[in-house]
Amino acid sequence: MAKFVGTRARSKEGPRHVTGRGLYTDDFRLPGMLHATILRSPHAHARIVSVDAAAALAAPNVVAVVTPDDVRKDSNPFKPGRYAAGLKRPIPEYASAVDKVRYVGEPVAAVAARDRGTAEDALELIAVEYDPLRPVVDVREALKPSSAVLFDELGTNLAWHGSLQYGDIDEAFRSADRVVRETLKIHRYSSTPLEPFVVIASHDAATRRLTVWVTAQVPEVIYDGLREALGIQDVRVIIPDVGGGFGQKIHLIRKYVVLVSMLAIKTGRPVKWVEDRSEHMMAGGHACAQEFEVEAAVKNDGTVLGLRFKEYDDVGGSVGTLTIHFTNKLNNLSNTYRVRNIAMEGFSVVTNKCPVIPNRGIGKPGMCFIWERTMDRIARELGLSPIEVRRRNLIRPEEMPYATPSGNLYDSGDYPGLLDTLLQRLDYEKLREEQKRAREQGRLLGIGVVIGVEPGGRNAARDMAIFPEMKEGPGSGGINGATIRLEKNGTIALHLGSPNCGQAHETTTAQVAAEVLGTSPDCISTTIPFDSDLSPWGVAAANSGNNFHLYDIGAVHGAARRLREKILKLAAHVLAVDAAELTIEDGIVHAPGAPAKRITFAELGRIAYNNQHLIPEDMEPGLQATYYYAFEHAKPNLVPGADRRVRAQFTFSAGAHGAVVEVDKNTGKVEVLRYLIVGDNGTIINPDVVNGQIYGSAAHGIAVALGEGFLYSSDAQPLTVTYLDYGKCSTAETPRIEVVHRPSPSPFTPLGQKAAGEGAAIPSPAAIASAVEDALSPLGAEIHELPLTPEAVWRIANRRPESARRLY
Amino acid sequence: MKKTIRVTINGRRYEEDVEPRMLLSHFLREQIGLTGTHVGCVVGECGACTILMDGKAVKSCLHLAVQADGRELTTIEGLARDGELAPIQEAFVRNYALQCGYCTPGMVLASHALLRNNPDPTEEEIRRGLAGNLCMCTGYVQIVEAVKDAARGLKNG
Repeated sequence: MAKFVGTRARSKEGPRHVTGRGLYTDDFRLPGMLHATILRSPHAHARIVSVDAAAALAAPNVVAVVTPDDVRKDSNPFKPGRYAAGLKRPIPEYASAVDKVRYVGEPVAAVAARDRGTAEDALELIAVEYDPLRPVVDVREALKPSSAVLFDELGTNLAWHGSLQYGDIDEAFRSADRVVRETLKIHRYSSTPLEPFVVIASHDAATRRLTVWVTAQVPEVIYDGLREALGIQDVRVIIPDVGGGFGQKIHLIRKYVVLVSMLAIKTGRPVKWVEDRSEHMMAGGHACAQEFEVEAAVKNDGTVLGLRFKEYDDVGGSVGTLTIHFTNKLNNLSNTYRVRNIAMEGFSVVTNKCPVIPNRGIGKPGMCFIWERTMDRIARELGLSPIEVRRRNLIRPEEMPYATPSGNLYDSGDYPGLLDTLLQRLDYEKLREEQKRAREQGRLLGIGVVIGVEPGGRNAARDMAIFPEMKEGPGSGGINGATIRLEKNGTIALHLGSPNCGQAHETTTAQVAAEVLGTSPDCISTTIPFDSDLSPWGVAAANSGNNFHLYDIGAVHGAARRLREKILKLAAHVLAVDAAELTIEDGIVHAPGAPAKRITFAELGRIAYNNQHLIPEDMEPGLQATYYYAFEHAKPNLVPGADRRVRAQFTFSAGAHGAVVEVDKNTGKVEVLRYLIVGDNGTIINPDVVNGQIYGSAAHGIAVALGEGFLYSSDAQPLTVTYLDYGKCSTAETPRIEVVHRPSPSPFTPLGQKAAGEGAAIPSPAAIASAVEDALSPLGAEIHELPLTPEAVWRIANRRPESARRLY
Repeated sequence: MKKTIRVTINGRRYEEDVEPRMLLSHFLREQIGLTGTHVGCVVGECGACTILMDGKAVKSCLHLAVQADGRELTTIEGLARDGELAPIQEAFVRNYALQCGYCTPGMVLASHALLRNNPDPTEEEIRRGLAGNLCMCTGYVQIVEAVKDAARGLKNG
């Protein structure tokens, strides 16, 4: 009977955050520290003719400047990452622009001064001569031969093109009763963490050791990036509290870590750089704008035989994360459906916009959007209920674990059950009647019901399915470590392989460790910050919410079990009983039936580190254990073979989402009247924590669907550089989200837990689109595109028929 | 040219020389060392740097340090008394009304000020009252619950 897992527990991180005691990178101050600012390109596309920093360097209190020449001379380009593996020719990517600028806000130079104000003033003293080039704004324009080309080495803006196929797609289309076609678009957005990028670098010239404090999600990207770019082997990465990640703080931030480190090396002093909000909005990375041409091979009863789509990604002015949104569709290529024939073709197009990065779901919201919009379209064309069409195609619970055509293994789940519970809780039939009455009164009420999976775990080797020509395999599967120690005073200390960006690392790991060890969560402390000198490594430290819930918990669970064995062995020796007879309760080891035979964790702690003669001969002294967790069931499709089948991710949470909206025909404003999620996140360790992850990601997906996003002018100038421009939702606009749990524990994880993090951001854009289309259906309107801003919805709702338009 | 200001922060009096262009948020963080006041946008849109000035919630990035001359400020570090969390802080902890913690100090102070003006707010009033404070993690559900919870405590306590 679980005592702590699955129960409410007092938040461990709560008290320090509500008192302002959280410790973020910007809170650190080192003696003699300088402050850096970054000069950014005002042009979307231009050749850099010259950069003259003499006047800036001569200004009082300015200590150093890094120019493109310095970057070329003193650093190496980053090793092309796996998301650039599809490039026909390698394109060196440095920490700043060196020859050309390819988006507004691209770093060109960096200054270190004694105070931030002076560093800001000094930016104006750097003279950069640009030779402006024609900007490339639109994907379709970018592909025309007349378009300017961003990367001369490529000779084209189509930086990557590839395809993948599972099953027999041609046969699926041959045997179909009809083909349902759909074109879809998703815009650029991001989750804009409230804490901007911050870096502090400190270099010891005598030992050639570089230490960085950075607000990053993935330590190894920073660690590897610094070693590649600066050739320094002795690198220490410290990651304190992170003020929100969402994927944003993985890739682009390494450039800034290198630039700030170069300033630290040049000056011999610690240097801090704090990004400002507008810098982040224009150059901090965006989720990719995606366009899809979809075709579904369908039988007249709504059964989908095959799905074929083309995807055009606007990846912006960098090739570093070229295929990130395409590759990640392998994770949920089948969504929740039993469709065996799927084919996709991808086009990654560079344009003069901000580069793309992973963001809350990375490509997966797009894949769910494709499926769920297509299901609605099929229902419409066949005159069937959208629920019925979905139900007909859902994978059934008795088919679990279910092997998808692309090689994923869905661990567990009852998709029809999720849908049924959602319909019950929504009171769907009654809602449809209410809708009928509303329509009679001229009100545009809409109901959208969608379903999607949240894949968990990490397998970078899936990229090899897309790029079979990849010479060096990326990290396959996921491994993450945890170290646990019984301290001398009987408390427990934990070191994790992932930094903390809001997934309640401290609370959740304490619940699990307390459960295994038979002690109280109050006696357990987790070390924040992450410190590469002390914390265990792991390729899975990617720290999206789902990875924490899987890998860190898996590692902590394993480490705690090892420690428990050691504790019992030592206690058995000291108490002179058999270890198998012992039990642990509240930090005290007991021999049942012998009340005198008991020993506390504190007594064991003192023995383990001080009293060699009390430690069994065959036992290593100390009470510490490290465990590295990996998914056993990842095999055999851990690495793709010739059939390109691969276990892209390893656990599959799921959620059915129901949205009820009302559209104001006069203003186009969409009001979300109700938003309900029935979720399966496997075993829930802490319901408050998991609910919080679901609320947050659903709110983001809804906001994205309703208008949050980045806009550019026709010459590729960013127009959304503040939260207000961007349309960030506050308490006033965000609907109240309801969550119901219907968990199916995973048979493959230690506690049955599955991912819980980005999940609700995956189906929510589709749910809103579905509901808005349903609301507008009396007008015959269809939704093919996000965002559904009031203006966009007004245009759709008030579109005059072609014939009427000609009269004006 | 530095200016001298006299300001009370969390009940303690300070006399400090500041540059006229220094923002109040930076003054608190860098000169006084109270890093609980977080900075997310510097243009008054996110509310992370909310503090109380003469009891009213204000965004400290929209004020210059010199404007705090003669004022009484409360930052997040000053809300708990003798190690006891204020009721709104306790409600935030109890309701899991935070994730990464970055918006939390501003959100807590804004909620504290909201309840001081309106001890029994409706959900609508809470949502309107906190609309100047953004949170990227929580979807606001548990934050609104925390404020309701604290309000119930005020009513019963």
